[in-house]
Amino acid sequence: MRFVDVAIRQAHPGPKARLYTSFEQKMLDAVVYKREEGIPWTVLVDDLAGTVHQVYGGMADPTYLIDSDGRVAYYNMWTHAPTLHTAIEALVGQGGRGVVRRGVDRRPHMAAAMTDGWRGLRRGLPQSLVDIEIAGPTTGTGAWLGYQLRPLLAPLTLRSEPLPTPVKVGLTAVLAVIVLRSARRRAG
Amino acid sequence: MDTLDLGQRFAALEEKLGVEDYNYEHFRTKHYVLDVQGTLKARGIKPGELAPDWDLSDAMGGSLRLSALRGTPVLLHFGSIT
Repeated sequence: MRFVDVAIRQAHPGPKARLYTSFEQKMLDAVVYKREEGIPWTVLVDDLAGTVHQVYGGMADPTYLIDSDGRVAYYNMWTHAPTLHTAIEALVGQGGRGVVRRGVDRRPHMAAAMTDGWRGLRRGLPQSLVDIEIAGPTTGTGAWLGYQLRPLLAPLTLRSEPLPTPVKVGLTAVLAVIVLRSARRRAG
Repeated sequence: MDTLDLGQRFAALEEKLGVEDYNYEHFRTKHYVLDVQGTLKARGIKPGELAPDWDLSDAMGGSLRLSALRGTPVLLHFGSIT
């Protein structure tokens, strides 16, 4: 399995993270991105028009699994490491070929972004925060809060592998109890 | 569609953005809306389709062509520094 990252446009621009007006600027940021985030795999740079990104759907944070024949095996529209982990295992189990897990996951996996997305957003401060709050009130402050709570949330939200089934069942049961109690209080 | 190269596929896109719209100065609600629409339509390359080939510059120097990786599975992530 070869891991490749493609650096795209400035998602949340700001005074120290200006929108790109040249490929060279984009390349310099990609070098910073690889170094600061400690990315051990290849980081490539798309052109200024975002040609590759747009052809591949232009979504905010997607990941594709491409099989040994160069065909799309799986499309995680909102990157989610545990889901990808399972898809990679399925692809390896199929000898590296064919579509896995019905091919597309459209679920907006936002928990990781709300825990760790602040690290990206803060590069564009203060404009990035003002803009995202205008675009979607509380999303920026929510990202900040999630980052402050990172030590608590990370074991659940930044996992690279799926939660064990007993933990999933336990968490679902706890949520169900909370929802039922809340419903009873409203009814009573 | 498998026989089209990247430039042809880009030209054929119905919802492509021009350079100035793609590289926006301010993140706005419309960008959320575009992502929601894209998610509902599963905008992108469909499972089973040949992944369009590209040849991109490597941040560490040189370049990489997707088709050169044929024979091994590839995890391809798109991300922004911000």
